[in-house]
Amino acid sequence: MREFFVPKKGYRVVFFIGKGGVGKTTSSAAAAIALAEGGYKTLIVSLDPAHNLGDVLMEKLSDKPKKITENLYAAELDMEKLIKAYLKHLEESMKHTYRYLTVINLEKYFEVLSFSPGIEEYATLEAIREILTRGDEWDVIVFDTPPTGLTLRVLALPKISLIWTDKLIEIRRAILDKRAAIANIHGEQEFVVEGKEFKLPTREEEDAVMKELKTYREEVAFVESVLTDPEKTSVVAVMNPEMLPLYETERAYESLRKFKIPFNMIVMNKVLELRNDVPELKARLEAQRKVLMEVERRFKGLEIVKIPVFPEEPRGVERLKELGGIIVGR
Amino acid sequence: MKDREKSPVENLKAFLRGFFGAFKHSSTEYLEFELRELENVFALILMGEFVGIPSPPTTLVIRLLPHMTRELYVMQRRVVDMDDILGELAGMFEIT
Repeated sequence: MREFFVPKKGYRVVFFIGKGGVGKTTSSAAAAIALAEGGYKTLIVSLDPAHNLGDVLMEKLSDKPKKITENLYAAELDMEKLIKAYLKHLEESMKHTYRYLTVINLEKYFEVLSFSPGIEEYATLEAIREILTRGDEWDVIVFDTPPTGLTLRVLALPKISLIWTDKLIEIRRAILDKRAAIANIHGEQEFVVEGKEFKLPTREEEDAVMKELKTYREEVAFVESVLTDPEKTSVVAVMNPEMLPLYETERAYESLRKFKIPFNMIVMNKVLELRNDVPELKARLEAQRKVLMEVERRFKGLEIVKIPVFPEEPRGVERLKELGGIIVGR
Repeated sequence: MKDREKSPVENLKAFLRGFFGAFKHSSTEYLEFELRELENVFALILMGEFVGIPSPPTTLVIRLLPHMTRELYVMQRRVVDMDDILGELAGMFEIT
């Protein structure tokens, strides 16, 4: 078994990324089945809003892990439900202190924020974080992801969030320092809104904003630490022997390297192999050969696995087993 | 008189207290201005989405909002007297 599929520190997270339609779901399901066969308690989660993990496994799935075979559990995240739940959760925490905030007509702000671009990515990240915090329940967690663009943005989020949070913490610290300096000279400062008096917090421990910033930082740093740990996370790219998936894989490779997320292997799916010469397919075979050579040249040192075109679509646990065996290396 | 009975050292101390008191007052004037600006900037960064400034993660914004009464208030005030910011600066530096 390839070592980047084996859990080393508690659990192993495997992301299957790639262009739309190259066979991510099939490959990830196959790998998950093979890992479960190998005796690891495996969870496969589909993050793709266009769900077809259930179709591949021929099971009806929901957002709760469902037992498929011995050691194998599968779930499909319902993005819409997730975003709603996510906003609901945020709204609850807002309501908590809501009454002071009627001053600025907060409802409007909130409404706009709930339609803010990128909310889907954040909800996805939140879902990943939740699964990772309970990661110890599993040996291997396999993520079947949406097409590359969205996935890369989700994987980049922790790093970006950390940069923002650190900047905000810095400004907040400056604010608290200034407040403390003023309080030192004039005594405790108060602030009145609509007849209600607040004491202005001057120390980091009593400032709710600082506390929230720090909690958020911790949460994001946890996800970031898991994602960038080669002992915990591996990324497998799935592609077809064509030029466009090659370009996309290369871009993914570059950006993952920028964010220090380990990239381990390429599954070359749907490779045509003919026993007899078919003149009609000659050009296609030639193009495929070129791409295969390019891949070997550009991704030196990466494991590349070739999967032939199957006469029939591999669906269902039994058929996927063999394919999974090739991917995880048995 | 009572004061006359005090030693010169005491008198000097009282004088210095008054002297530095006035000093203190004008020093916090700048500090308070700076603080208000920082609070304004902090709120503006979080709410910048509305005026086209790239904003931090939405999650973070919404999570911080409930605790931001003061900063939002400052920001709104700042917006209201935006046109008089020169006036405020002039007042602070006693330019008349």
